[in-house]
Amino acid sequence: MTKSLKLLSIAAMASTMLATAPLSAQAGGVLRLDEVAVGELDPAIASDYADSILMFNVYDTLVLPAQGAPGHVPHLAESWEGDGTSYTFKLRDDVKFVSGNAMTAEDVVFSLDRMKAMGKGLSYLFANVEKAEAVDASTVTFTLTKPYAPFVASLLRLPIVDKQTVMANLGEGEGEMKDWGAAYLTSTSAGTGAYRIVSHNPQEETVMEKNPDYFLGVPAPAPDTARLRYGLEAATVRTLIAQGEHDIASQWLPPEVIKALAANGAQVLTESGTGAFYVKMNTTKPPLDDVNCRMAFAKAFDYGAAIKMIAVTDTVSQGAASTGAVPVGMFGANPADQVLTRDLEAAKQHLAECKYKPEDFTLEISWIAEVPVEERFALLMQANYAELGVKSEIKKLPWALFAEQVSKPENTPHLSQLFVNAVTGDPDTLLYGMYHSSAAGTWQSPEYLNDAEVDKQLEAGRTAATPEGREGAYAALNARLMEIAPTIYGYDRQSVFAASARVKVPALSDPSKAFGLDGMGFTFRLMEVAD
Amino acid sequence: MIPLARLLAKRLATSLIVLIGVSMLIFAIARIIPGDPARIALGPNATAEQIADLRAALHLNDHIVVQYGHFVADVARGDLGVSLYTNRPVTADIALYLPATLELVLVAGLMMVGIGLPLGIWSARWRGRAADNMIRLVSLLGVSAPSFVWAVILMLLFAFYLPLFPIAGRISDSYAISSVTGFLLIDTLLQGDVRAFGNAAWHIVLPAFALALSGIGQAARLTRANMVETYDKPYIEMAQSYGFPARRIANHYAFRPSLIPSLTIIGLDFAAMLGNAFLVEAIFAWPGLSRYGVAVILRKDLNAIVGTVLIISATFLLVNIIVDLLIALLNPRIRYSQRPA
Amino acid sequence: MKRTLAILLANPLSLLGVVLVSVVILSAVFADFIAPFPEHSGAVVDFANFNKPPEWPYIFGTDLVGRDMFSRILYAYRISLILGIVVLAIAVPIGVTIGLVAGYLGGWTEYLLMRLTDVFLSVPPLVLAMSIMGVLQPTLANGMLAVTAMWWPWYTRLVYNITRGEKEEGYVLAAEVIGASKAHIIFREILPNCVPAIITKMTLDMGFVILIASSLSFLGLGVQPPTPDLGSMVADGAKYLPDSWWLTIFPGLAILIAVFGFNLIGDALRDILGAEQ
Repeated sequence: MTKSLKLLSIAAMASTMLATAPLSAQAGGVLRLDEVAVGELDPAIASDYADSILMFNVYDTLVLPAQGAPGHVPHLAESWEGDGTSYTFKLRDDVKFVSGNAMTAEDVVFSLDRMKAMGKGLSYLFANVEKAEAVDASTVTFTLTKPYAPFVASLLRLPIVDKQTVMANLGEGEGEMKDWGAAYLTSTSAGTGAYRIVSHNPQEETVMEKNPDYFLGVPAPAPDTARLRYGLEAATVRTLIAQGEHDIASQWLPPEVIKALAANGAQVLTESGTGAFYVKMNTTKPPLDDVNCRMAFAKAFDYGAAIKMIAVTDTVSQGAASTGAVPVGMFGANPADQVLTRDLEAAKQHLAECKYKPEDFTLEISWIAEVPVEERFALLMQANYAELGVKSEIKKLPWALFAEQVSKPENTPHLSQLFVNAVTGDPDTLLYGMYHSSAAGTWQSPEYLNDAEVDKQLEAGRTAATPEGREGAYAALNARLMEIAPTIYGYDRQSVFAASARVKVPALSDPSKAFGLDGMGFTFRLMEVAD
Repeated sequence: MIPLARLLAKRLATSLIVLIGVSMLIFAIARIIPGDPARIALGPNATAEQIADLRAALHLNDHIVVQYGHFVADVARGDLGVSLYTNRPVTADIALYLPATLELVLVAGLMMVGIGLPLGIWSARWRGRAADNMIRLVSLLGVSAPSFVWAVILMLLFAFYLPLFPIAGRISDSYAISSVTGFLLIDTLLQGDVRAFGNAAWHIVLPAFALALSGIGQAARLTRANMVETYDKPYIEMAQSYGFPARRIANHYAFRPSLIPSLTIIGLDFAAMLGNAFLVEAIFAWPGLSRYGVAVILRKDLNAIVGTVLIISATFLLVNIIVDLLIALLNPRIRYSQRPA
Repeated sequence: MKRTLAILLANPLSLLGVVLVSVVILSAVFADFIAPFPEHSGAVVDFANFNKPPEWPYIFGTDLVGRDMFSRILYAYRISLILGIVVLAIAVPIGVTIGLVAGYLGGWTEYLLMRLTDVFLSVPPLVLAMSIMGVLQPTLANGMLAVTAMWWPWYTRLVYNITRGEKEEGYVLAAEVIGASKAHIIFREILPNCVPAIITKMTLDMGFVILIASSLSFLGLGVQPPTPDLGSMVADGAKYLPDSWWLTIFPGLAILIAVFGFNLIGDALRDILGAEQ
């Protein structure tokens, strides 16, 4: 008995010895990156950053954001014209899906119908779109219920799916369309993209390879294979990059870790301009229903310390000082040098004018369990407000529970920390969902703001026909939001990615190539991988 | 062999009753988690109508007893429902992640037996001497830190400062292994790819060892204690006075009777390891059931929570039955004392 | 009792255990006086001194908001000990009573109670506690509740086995003959004979409760900040490995020292009390 046990342990050791012989992984043309969240492949469900990376590579959209400039350029569409409530797109006729089927107007109509019928993910962007119709094989018309200036921008979130393939793979479900192919499309793709799915395990990794028949062709230096892994620990990513076994880290690495990697020779990539860090105040709950209390907390927040906390190197930071409610670079933003700073005296004055006294309440400061840096902001606020004589308690909430709690004002914490960005790059998709009274009670609107002036400017911003008109509306909105302080505008966000030296990503390193849309910088076909 | 079959039948019946109890317990727990599972599943922008539809589809408006009835009816058909988190059948999700966890736990179990028992035997043989005290101290240390602390320390030492082992994952990217059993150590051999097998074995060493450390300590301590007891028995003293070699006495006469209580504990430790795997998997990015388990609990994914816990418990009960049968095979007294009550 | 203590102090291993446990208890009790920065146990931020490696006056370094790790570990011991004591104070009486009743009464009572125990024992401890913590808000009190829920069955098992043996003993039969009540026999006759085993297990378990509670915190289901907690410190620090190693290694060692100390004593107690039995 013991003999066999001994043999066993020897065998176990021998196999490890054998395995320690170097098995150098072939890295030729492979791009390895990671994201924290689970990757969702279905275009009608996709919503977050990981999903966006998948969408922008395995699917295409009618338009693309212009690089290094505002506006949009043709992509699957050759050209378009629109007059406020009706837009007509002329499609390219040389585009094929990975199945070999030709991409036609029918597919565009199907993609929109599917998105709206399933009602998940980013489908709310198309609430104002009444219908899409195929005029002929290469012409499609969208009809809107009312003018919506950001409509073309929202098409960046309408990946075009292969109708024929999906119809051939409908799963179980009720009605004529059954499950709209949801079971099929969560595990594979039916797009025209520069990359196609090799394998997809939503918790582990998605492997993609070049699509040799891509209508624009994929340049040779672009990665042959891309492996997107999910949920790696920060320490793991840090070590993998240091050992040359990983290429681009997710933006969620803590700043200290990016700093350590940069010190060891990693390059630092950035993506900015579409979002901000906000501390949202529940305006329905005492003491935050009094604007003076809100102003006091906004003034007492240590903006300088927050910026210092997220600095990565001397020149790169995960954020830039905030100037107001609208991030710098968008319509209506204040000048970049007009930054918010802490003013404890002003805060004390506001607090004295507030109808609630500090000894009568305890402030709940929540933070999202998945975002560790928020714990530090929570501690910062706790310390900042203690200087005002305000007691507070810190509450850690997993994302799912947070999203559920904010659906009722009485369950919504006093302070909620959120990173919000414009999903289409347009200020409407950042601000409307946060501040319009009709949008109250979603994850991005725990303020429960109900202000007629704010609503008016938000409507003006999305219906104005000219850029000047929109600029004016958002500037007025910004001023109003500063005056009623529903939110502490923490800082303008910049995503920072640590990356190995063997990749070149112009869209994330050269401002003239930047897309101005979160996740678009991860368009693999525009990257280069050495060796 | 008839008594053995009877023992098996009896243990299976008891396990089934226990499993039903577990399902009720966990079902009740899953239903009282605060938050509306339908709302969480549908995401922040869902309409009230969509939420109501999903609640109806999940029978959430029924009494909990009725809900449990639906659940039992589904389980009887081998259906654990659809995960609200991955939109896939829970059985498919578990089938995907369980093998990785089981592989890790089984290798850790082998390490526990393969390292812990010999340590215990040596310790008992040299009891009172320096070697004994060393082994006792080390095995106690092994038990005294949670496996996540060991995982962190091992990773720091042997994957970072001394990069002998890989830091994460089950196998290097360069190997494409088609999944047959889901156990990479077996699948690689089925494909006849010895290098891939070596690579997978190389990946499993650190996480399995971190997981096994407390078990190794436990097994060594127990074996030692039981053997010390056996050493005091007259037949050993007789063997010693006849001048039998110490090694032979240790391995043949003292060890065998001590094995039975040790095996029982190993069965119990297996349960602890299935749980502790959650901690180790997180650190080594091991694509097992753990990340899934934690994610579904946080997301209040009812079907997935119940399914995961049920499968883990069933695995645990199964291992214990196997251990019981092993003990019965080893010990005729137990084998034949199992008469129907 | 005196003799037990004398034996404990005579053996070098158990002496080490007594020393370690004393250090842990004293640090917890006198944290206010020992800690160089007592205020760092709460919400203090000091961005001038954040993420510092061990150096005077921060002998264990500072965390990511500039708090002294050494002070926080002392206060974390306080939380761990309170948790351990409360969990055992609740779990032991419940588990022991059920074990005694099931073991002595036998029949259907035994069958039902022991199957109930089996149900709890066949869910891996951590998984059960996780499921419960998923239900509740993560607070210290709920953490204790979750750990308690998974702890009592072990005492039931232990006491049940002893009781089954004891109930055939002469003194129990004698008490039955003279017509003593069942409660009297269970609590006055059998229970005292279980005490040595229970005490030994409690000493060992003090360490294991600390261990499992830290595991829960590690998974994010434990005590909330700014309260210092060893498991959360390891979990949070692990993200900053290997550069900021002091964030993980010191709290990890702190857990090790406490659990190791209790294990050494428990081990020795088992030998001493077991031999006396």
